Amino acid sequence: MSDQRIFARYKATEIRAELQNFDAKRSKVSATKRKVALRKIIANLKMGNYNEMVLLYPEMLKFWQVEDDLEVKRICHEYVRTLGAAKPQSAKEALGAVLGDLENKNEEVQIMSLRTLSAVTSLEYINEAFKAVGYVLARRGVPQNLLKTAILLLKYMDDLDHDRVSSTLDSLYDIFERQLASPTVQVAALHTIYAIHEKNTDLKPLRLELDVAMGLLDLLPQLNEWDKAMVLESLTTSAVPQTHSDVCAMIELVLPQLQHANTYVALNAFKFIAYLLNYAEHVNEGLIKRFSNSIVSLLNKPPELEFLVLRNIILLLLSRGASLLKLDVSFFFIEYNDPIYIKDTKLECLYLSADHETLPRILEELVQYATDIDIQMSRKAIRAIGNLAVKLNEEAAHDCVDALLDLLEFGVDYVVQEIISVFRNILRKHPKRFESIIGELVKHTESVQEPEAKNAMIWIITNYSYALPNYLEFFQVFSSNLLEETSDVQFSILTSSVKFFIRNPNYQTEKICIKALKQCTEEINNPDLRDRAFMYWRLLSLAQSPKSHLLSNDSMTKLIDGELPAIQLSTKLDPVILEELELNIGTIASIYLKPVSQVFRNTRTKRLLPSPILNPNKENLKVINDGSTNLNSGAFERVPEWETIGQSDDVSVASPRRTKTMMNDYDKPAEKVNQLKGKRKSSSAGPSTLSRKPSMLVRKLSMKKPF
Amino acid sequence: MVSAVYFCDGKGRPILSRRYRDDIPISAIDKFAPLLLQLEEESSVIPPCLSHDGIQYLFIQHNDLYVVALATSLATNVAQVFAFLHKLMEVLEEYLKSVEEESVRDNFIIIYELLDEMMDYGIPQITETKMLKQYITQKSFKLMKAVKKSKAAPRPPTEVTNSVSWRAPNIVHKKNEAFLDIVESINMLMNQQGQVLRSEIIGQIKVKSKLSGMPDLKLGINDKGIFSKYVEGDSDPVTTAVTEGKKKTNIELEDLKFHQCVRLSKFENEKIITFIPPDGAFELMNYRLSMPVKPLIWCDVNVQVHSQSRIEIHCRARAQIKKRSIANSVEILIPVPDDADTPSFKYTHGSVKWVPQKNAILWKIRSFTGGKEYSMSAQMGLPSINALDKPKVKRPVQIKFQIPYFTTSGIQVRYLKITEPKLLYKSYPWVRYITQSGDDYTIKLNN
Repeated sequence: MSDQRIFARYKATEIRAELQNFDAKRSKVSATKRKVALRKIIANLKMGNYNEMVLLYPEMLKFWQVEDDLEVKRICHEYVRTLGAAKPQSAKEALGAVLGDLENKNEEVQIMSLRTLSAVTSLEYINEAFKAVGYVLARRGVPQNLLKTAILLLKYMDDLDHDRVSSTLDSLYDIFERQLASPTVQVAALHTIYAIHEKNTDLKPLRLELDVAMGLLDLLPQLNEWDKAMVLESLTTSAVPQTHSDVCAMIELVLPQLQHANTYVALNAFKFIAYLLNYAEHVNEGLIKRFSNSIVSLLNKPPELEFLVLRNIILLLLSRGASLLKLDVSFFFIEYNDPIYIKDTKLECLYLSADHETLPRILEELVQYATDIDIQMSRKAIRAIGNLAVKLNEEAAHDCVDALLDLLEFGVDYVVQEIISVFRNILRKHPKRFESIIGELVKHTESVQEPEAKNAMIWIITNYSYALPNYLEFFQVFSSNLLEETSDVQFSILTSSVKFFIRNPNYQTEKICIKALKQCTEEINNPDLRDRAFMYWRLLSLAQSPKSHLLSNDSMTKLIDGELPAIQLSTKLDPVILEELELNIGTIASIYLKPVSQVFRNTRTKRLLPSPILNPNKENLKVINDGSTNLNSGAFERVPEWETIGQSDDVSVASPRRTKTMMNDYDKPAEKVNQLKGKRKSSSAGPSTLSRKPSMLVRKLSMKKPF
Repeated sequence: MVSAVYFCDGKGRPILSRRYRDDIPISAIDKFAPLLLQLEEESSVIPPCLSHDGIQYLFIQHNDLYVVALATSLATNVAQVFAFLHKLMEVLEEYLKSVEEESVRDNFIIIYELLDEMMDYGIPQITETKMLKQYITQKSFKLMKAVKKSKAAPRPPTEVTNSVSWRAPNIVHKKNEAFLDIVESINMLMNQQGQVLRSEIIGQIKVKSKLSGMPDLKLGINDKGIFSKYVEGDSDPVTTAVTEGKKKTNIELEDLKFHQCVRLSKFENEKIITFIPPDGAFELMNYRLSMPVKPLIWCDVNVQVHSQSRIEIHCRARAQIKKRSIANSVEILIPVPDDADTPSFKYTHGSVKWVPQKNAILWKIRSFTGGKEYSMSAQMGLPSINALDKPKVKRPVQIKFQIPYFTTSGIQVRYLKITEPKLLYKSYPWVRYITQSGDDYTIKLNN
């Protein structure tokens, strides 16, 4: 029987005919054909042919009674489940048969029946499901598989009727506290309780007695891989150690699991230990080594899993710097065959793990990528080099700039665009250092085409006009076709032409300035641009009118052409969010680096529960070694500082001035430097200690999208 | 927790679905295809997780299929989802041979059964093929033979809730054998001057067990080799530092990952690998070493481009392995510009051909004895008109090979003890070594 005929739309009457046709005969052949007919029903249901198939209810019920073949049973149950979800009222007829199966001798059929009961969302079914689960839980000597299904079912039913479920929670506690059932059932019970606690914010966060938690950890060697990981997941935050020896004992039990081949297990073991370290006195250097090794070998997995691990490495680099993971940068070098999203993520890892030691190697790699055949990759690599120059100190920036200048000679169009764009940021960070190269940059004035590159070029010309004897010629390349530019560039041109004029009022600059003001106010329909032009215009006329002493030339210069604050690139996240993300290693939240609560109000935010030994400050976590290997004091020193001192300085310098000189906001605010080109998911600010500048946080939280 | 699993075709349209929870609308999957399309238009980067309207789409690609898991919460464990989806594909491959759009449509009933068994309310359950095969039999797609109205319907074995969940107790084989394959894949990046920029060895120990009962296996690996160093490593770092100057080996070898059957705590404490194997083939462990390796197959490639007329390639390949060893099916893939044509070759060994669809020249040498050196030269015409500012090709030379009876790291199996407490049969362990090129054995060209 070919599949094509199974996967086709049928009318109910056709299938009914087929079913009845062979009903009479009791040969093997007819049974086969009947099954094919049944399969057609399922196939039709999957195609959404509900209206026809619902007519077959009587036939299905008939089959239910006569057949005891497991596959037919499966099909019957699937039929009720699918139609039950789509048309709950029609499922009532089948309730009797489903309940009948619950009494069946075969465990498999009982399980099927339980699942069907929960799948149909009508009141009768739900009531019966609760009854059945209660019955299964209360009885002794139930088959373990059935018990497990019932327990997992509870978690699902919690969505439907929380109050009824919470009354059964105590018996679930019993199962794993007193170890009443087989290990896997205990895990199911634990997981159900954990999940219910996570979802309902009215319950207190789950907290287990320490000996119960230890008991569960002792079970680990006996469990299958999924259960292992589930135990580790449920115990993160719910098993709270009270003494340092508790911490050690727990780590000891979990440590072997780091070597599990399943990423799910290894990553959860990692998460659990990382969580325990919040309560630890110190961290052993050997442990860090094992951490790093375990993570590295997880990189040799299918790309999707590799991606996840890389995202989590980013998370750890952000939160702990190099203190928990010591990975050689070469693991992040891009391989020719990597899928693009892996390349992307590796690039980000390279950027984050760059310091003065590793910079030469990283820079060498990045330059390679920049000349890569893939345009996107090449742009990203250049962007990364530029950001490194801003992130690191002046000396390192020098290397980066050299690399960029080499690339500039390459002369390919998109490379030029990108390099010009990143240079603006570098020049803002190190204003005086690179004056000598301005001449080199402006040679490319004619070839910049993209709005961002144009903006950058205009900015560079404006700010370094003193170093360029013929800056106006360069500038006129842009200003002469003001009308055709995008609005971004129009803003830049307007501001720059006003600046040129007040710096050096002469015939030429005045002409340019007036022309720009005129065009912006008269010929362009963008109200923002028009208003800004008017504002400049009035400021200028106010300053020049002899009667008024409101505004002197000096103060206007300060107003329009003031000094810019230095920019800072900070990769640090808010510690509160980091704490939550660290407890969510391996989850979707860790991929987007967004706190869970931001998207789902009702879910509980994971927090470290109090304990006498909870470290108030992660910085105090000491790295010690066990005497065999050489002391690595650097690891301790490199622990990141939570307070982003640089930033707050920046804010305090910038804000008073900003209140006065609102008008010269033409430049990208400092925090935008961190933003890579292109769209990104923006997010609302989470609870933050840096609430003075929420936008900065928001940007850092959002996942870096392709630029 | 997964809310639903979908099998979608190459365009992202659903073929088959299994819903585990009711918290997502049925129409949610219809958004998947447009989402993919939109991303593809915006940029070439399509990460394996998408988010739309509060629903998370986590997917893997397999042949011409997208296997998509939907979830609602950001707290969903992605590691669980991806590990499960890959496991699912593994299991399906054993059932269906190859998993692609057509075979999925053909066998949708069995896939439903498997999805039912492997996941319960979004939580992974049994994922060992051998265990699943006991009660999800293959009869579904061998339609003609199928029906047996047996009263004794297969039922899930009780072992799935036992501690040895990967093995059924009553397995009997006429001949009791265990096959051990030690496969080392070498990833290496070199430059044209022969400098090794980065190298790593990825080792796998694969076991195929055909043993009766509940055998307990103990694997011993050469004590002079890396393992003893590893054991000593903790107590006596000095000697290890001295041995061959490979100070790093004992660190890197901690990078072991074991199949779930290995008793991890035993390994942790006593450094002994003991396990009750599942029946059939599985990967017992894998390891990684990043010790410096010299290139096993080295190619001296010289490319001369006379722009607008022709390109000349000279290549000398040398097998830098022991004289007794032989490298099999060596393939050297040398990139050429995509507008090159009219190839002409001169070579002493193997076969050379131009593969236009890969824009490369492929030199195949079936067997390459250690210490030998072969050479090849090729010439191709280039068009006389040059497209302006075309970015240069920066593809590497890729090399593939297999060397049997040889491991690069020097790992060796000393013994494989098989004990079955009840049956006490005679058993035969077989061991095989192989070194091969990994995914990334390449020579960068600096043009």
